[in-house]
Amino acid sequence: MLRFVVRRLLLLVPILLGLSLLVFGWIRWLPGSPAIALLGERATPETVAQIERQYGLDRPIHVQYWRYLNNVARADFGDSIVTRRSVVTELREKFPATIELALAAMFVSVLLGIPLGFIAAKRYGGPLDHASLVASLLGISIPVFFLAIVLKYVFAVKLGWLPTVGRLSPLIPAEHPTKFYVLDAIVTGNGRAFLNSLKHLVLPAIALGSIPLAVIARITRAAVLDVMNEDYVRTARAKGIHPLLVDSRHVLRNALLPISTIIGLQTGLLLSGAVLTETVFAWPGLGTWLVGAIENRDYPVLQGGILFVAVVFVLVNLLVDISYAFINPRIRVS
Amino acid sequence: MSVAEVESRALELEAPSGLWPEAWRRLRRNPGAIVGFALVLAFALAAAFAPLIAPFDPLEGALEGRRISASPSWDHPFGLDQQGRDQLSRVIFGARYSLLIGVVSVTVGLSFGLVLGGIAGYLGGIVDSIVMRLMDVMLSIPGLLLAIGVVAALGPGLKEIMIAVGITNVPIFARLLRGSILAQKENDFVLAARAVGVPRRTILASHILPNAISPVIVQGTLALATAIIDVAGLGFLGLGPQDPATPEWGTMLTDTTRFLQTAPYLAIIPGCAIVLSVLGFNLIGDGLREALDPKLRGRA
Repeated sequence: MLRFVVRRLLLLVPILLGLSLLVFGWIRWLPGSPAIALLGERATPETVAQIERQYGLDRPIHVQYWRYLNNVARADFGDSIVTRRSVVTELREKFPATIELALAAMFVSVLLGIPLGFIAAKRYGGPLDHASLVASLLGISIPVFFLAIVLKYVFAVKLGWLPTVGRLSPLIPAEHPTKFYVLDAIVTGNGRAFLNSLKHLVLPAIALGSIPLAVIARITRAAVLDVMNEDYVRTARAKGIHPLLVDSRHVLRNALLPISTIIGLQTGLLLSGAVLTETVFAWPGLGTWLVGAIENRDYPVLQGGILFVAVVFVLVNLLVDISYAFINPRIRVS
Repeated sequence: MSVAEVESRALELEAPSGLWPEAWRRLRRNPGAIVGFALVLAFALAAAFAPLIAPFDPLEGALEGRRISASPSWDHPFGLDQQGRDQLSRVIFGARYSLLIGVVSVTVGLSFGLVLGGIAGYLGGIVDSIVMRLMDVMLSIPGLLLAIGVVAALGPGLKEIMIAVGITNVPIFARLLRGSILAQKENDFVLAARAVGVPRRTILASHILPNAISPVIVQGTLALATAIIDVAGLGFLGLGPQDPATPEWGTMLTDTTRFLQTAPYLAIIPGCAIVLSVLGFNLIGDGLREALDPKLRGRA
């Protein structure tokens, strides 16, 4: 097991180096020099030369890359062109919002997806099974942002049950020690803020969770169908074990293996989808931050933000791989 | 003539039907796939004959004395948008953009991906390692963010989002074809061909590729669905065609959240067009996957 983990960690090194090279090369690939990109309309030959000296852009490319690696290793992504604040500071403010949203979406999709897939498999070939297949097909065919718009129209605009934008009503006083608003409300014992931030979470979480929900339901159905026909399940039933016990201990537990991998693989989709969902609901997370950065041509923010998200994605996949090896001994050996 | 051939003649054995005729036969019996084909065909026809079908000019707006943001009516079944343009005509012309962008971006991703995956899978060794590590790096950035990064570098626009979505597809196809080739390489018929001295290039072209290509076709169809969604997403974020008059479905959705209270149909109608076209490709892709699955061959 330790060898497996060490090997996976070593594989991480070329990926991370490649990523840094890609993101480093990307900013140099931009039309014009990065100095012009940084200065925008204020670019004059003098200011460009000054910026190039200041950022070491007049040095050879490998020296620049080495410098860049050093900065990134010290978690220094430079300053935002627009706000003049450090990218890392802004990242610390925005990231919890996205994590909160992604976790809520994951919660929705797992909570609904597994039972849905399980019931579909139990009723294989029946109307419920067909309905769940159609629903999951629709789920992966609806663009996240369109579902977000429809949900917002029905539940926020028409019915007025839930708020349309943001994370918390500005009328509610609240402190934010952790920047996770729901958690903050619990920590500070603020009941009103707790309810209000939960209400703000509902629609974005459902919209963002729709694709993982469909995928999880599909995989659960397939996995349960596979396991249901195994000899040990038949044996367990023949022994007269209570059907519910067979379902939970023999069927579902073994079916959870493929399901757990899929849940991990959905992180990338969640992070991509978050960009769009956040835009619809004006959710102040990484997504709206990055989209704003594109509009303002704020390259340090884009560079730092994309590198950060990619590293998070890589680490999550690593964790999924390792936890999968923990659950499934066969992986460890090979 | 070999003994086997003589015997088979004597027995009047039927030639086994190939993979493709059989897959086609199974595909025709799959109701989901039929619905998928019908949807895609409808959008393809709308795209091809847009100037003939569309009742109005998709770009002609309120300047002609028409009202703005009118609800659906007899004259304008899908209503008028915030500039007074006929939504039905815009959705019909939009099919051109969305299908074209989808096909072009998948073709870009597919061709580069296939070349890279083919080289990596067949040559193996150090080439394989380098190419696949590069693909791993590309896959380590979530798809839409990679596309956003590319668009940020190239600048927004129609051609640019096609390239961006195409690039996100490259590693997916490269990985798929490489894996498929590796699996085929060890097959008995490939070993047999090598044993009798068939040249490497012929083995790759006539023994390995035809057998390795079916998962690529399935993935290609499903990638079309994803490409339409991603392109619409980029359009929605305002990274698509920079002329807001362009009737691209995603771009049409951009500003509509502001009008949800008064004109929800402005968002719902282009959105439904996206959903239906994506659904069509997904249905075909699923049908193809089932039809081409060798485990299911020979069954109804």
